[in-house]
Amino acid sequence: MADLDGSRILGCVQTVRIALAQMAPRLGGLEENLERHLDLIAGARGQGADLIVFPELGLTGYLLQDLAGEVAMHLDDPRLSRLAQATSDLSAVISFVEESADHRLFISAGLFEDGELRHVHRKLFLPTYGLFDERRFFAAGDALRAVPSRLGAGIGIGVCEDFWHLSVPQLLALDGAQILVNVSSSPGRDLAATNEVGLGTASSWRTLMRTYAQLTTSFVVFCNRVGVEESISFWGGSEVIAPTGEMVFGAPLYDEGLFTVDISLADIRRERIVLPLLRDERPELQIRELGRIVAERADMAPDSTSSPEEAAVSAPPPAPRSLEARRLRVADAGES
Amino acid sequence: MTTTTTEPFELPVELAIDTDVARRVIGEFIRSQLRQAGFERTVIALSGGIDSALVAYLVVEAIGAANLHAVLMPYRSSAPTSRADAETVVASLGCSSEVVEITPMVDGYFGTESATGAAGREGLGASSLRRGNFAARMRMAIAYDRSVTFGGLVVGTGNKTESLIGYTTLFGDSACAFNPIGDLYKSQVRQMAVAVGVPDAIVRKAPSADLWPGQTDEGEGEFSYPVLDRLLFWRIDKRRSVDEMVALGFSAEMVERVDRMVAGAEFKRQVPPIAKLGPRTTGVDYLYPRRRPGSKRG
Repeated sequence: MADLDGSRILGCVQTVRIALAQMAPRLGGLEENLERHLDLIAGARGQGADLIVFPELGLTGYLLQDLAGEVAMHLDDPRLSRLAQATSDLSAVISFVEESADHRLFISAGLFEDGELRHVHRKLFLPTYGLFDERRFFAAGDALRAVPSRLGAGIGIGVCEDFWHLSVPQLLALDGAQILVNVSSSPGRDLAATNEVGLGTASSWRTLMRTYAQLTTSFVVFCNRVGVEESISFWGGSEVIAPTGEMVFGAPLYDEGLFTVDISLADIRRERIVLPLLRDERPELQIRELGRIVAERADMAPDSTSSPEEAAVSAPPPAPRSLEARRLRVADAGES
Repeated sequence: MTTTTTEPFELPVELAIDTDVARRVIGEFIRSQLRQAGFERTVIALSGGIDSALVAYLVVEAIGAANLHAVLMPYRSSAPTSRADAETVVASLGCSSEVVEITPMVDGYFGTESATGAAGREGLGASSLRRGNFAARMRMAIAYDRSVTFGGLVVGTGNKTESLIGYTTLFGDSACAFNPIGDLYKSQVRQMAVAVGVPDAIVRKAPSADLWPGQTDEGEGEFSYPVLDRLLFWRIDKRRSVDEMVALGFSAEMVERVDRMVAGAEFKRQVPPIAKLGPRTTGVDYLYPRRRPGSKRG
């Protein structure tokens, strides 16, 4: 097992070659997609890649609806074993529909390494709004773990929407991830002439990726699919962002391809010493405040941020803690 | 809003799109729809107007002129310029084409001054609206027949503006296998048409359903497309309230009138409901993607 405290890379320059498989899976075509994955893994190995990342639901396609149950696999499925065997000398992040023993269906992403399935991340946040309807067909995961990797750095995996929640990249980084991997099937929308890439979705994601990389001082590896399903076009634009927030590599929008990029793990150490944000995080403060917020939301404690009117009805008003609450009270006093 | 004399049309600034990205998305969309259905070719009802001209250009850009068959379907009262413009599109794209007159079909139903049609005496007094809708459905029937003879999918040419306000004929001009421009407002159709090289005369002429001589969309609806497009964009895409619309410079009366048009046309945009009786009902709790393994044409 790799050690995650950074000592292993101290004083040496370790390069990791990442391959981004920006592909267009065939909707519902599990066998065909499996062969495509094996081909791409072979291609990545041929290019000397240490890690290959496939997009969300690369093995099945995205808009599955009632097909979800038909393409689901238990973790001991021989098709996953075939993929594992293909990773004897590299790491791969591969996404599929996972069926648990109690027959829940998850959007999962597995880390395959050294010939075995080392870790499975079940998508935590299932968008069910706007053009998304994931919660109707899938169960949400309940666990978030960073995992050590043969690459010499901890890996943290998120699936698409997981990275639209601040807590996910932060928890992964606090748990030891130094490379944050997000696999996505992001539908492109909001075409506009007013932004850098002509696509609102791409601008939003770019902002997020740079922010997470900078705030967690980690590499962010984003692999987004291409291709069309029904009305939706997936826009690609896969990226690797350095711990400084700078883009190391950006794949073109909409083009299918296997793109490789080299990163230096020394960049993580350097940035974390120069900008010790992770060192200065206050998880105990978060737990304390989150505990209070959760209790208040469950009505198990007086709501310290409610308006004066509501507070008067529900409970004796607590001492004002927020600036907003103090301001309201001052305003009330002035009017009376 | 931008209004410049050099542009052949008025493009509200908030509606401007990156046409390169749009062409890329639409090209992939067209190729993907065909691949998933097991087709290589397409059929288009080419009217001579900007919408179908733009779609023809986009299809040729995506799959080549050899895979597009244009069907020109004039009625006896159709403007001669419509057919001429359609022929210009065909000539510049180099796709195959044919003319199928719908006059005998429409007149055969409604009748003419000299003969009663299949609809009987009542048909002789049919309104322009009925005749226009019937003509649109005859064109649909021909396009779908040509879909078989040419072996191509019928490409839709309706834009977002007309779909939202309901300026379409149900099972007529809105019928298609897929629609590449249905999420583009008319102003954006014009922007795209200029980008792909649709002839200037087609871009500049007043939009018309050409259901009767001299008809224009804007004359009929008492609106201009740039204003209507802006209204729909802010109201629907950007979810602005009536009060916010008024603050943007629209009259409350116009906003409410367009709201009614949009709400009243909902039925035209959706698959008809099926009475739920069995355990699993299409569109309700039988939910599959349109194309999946096994659904490709054999």
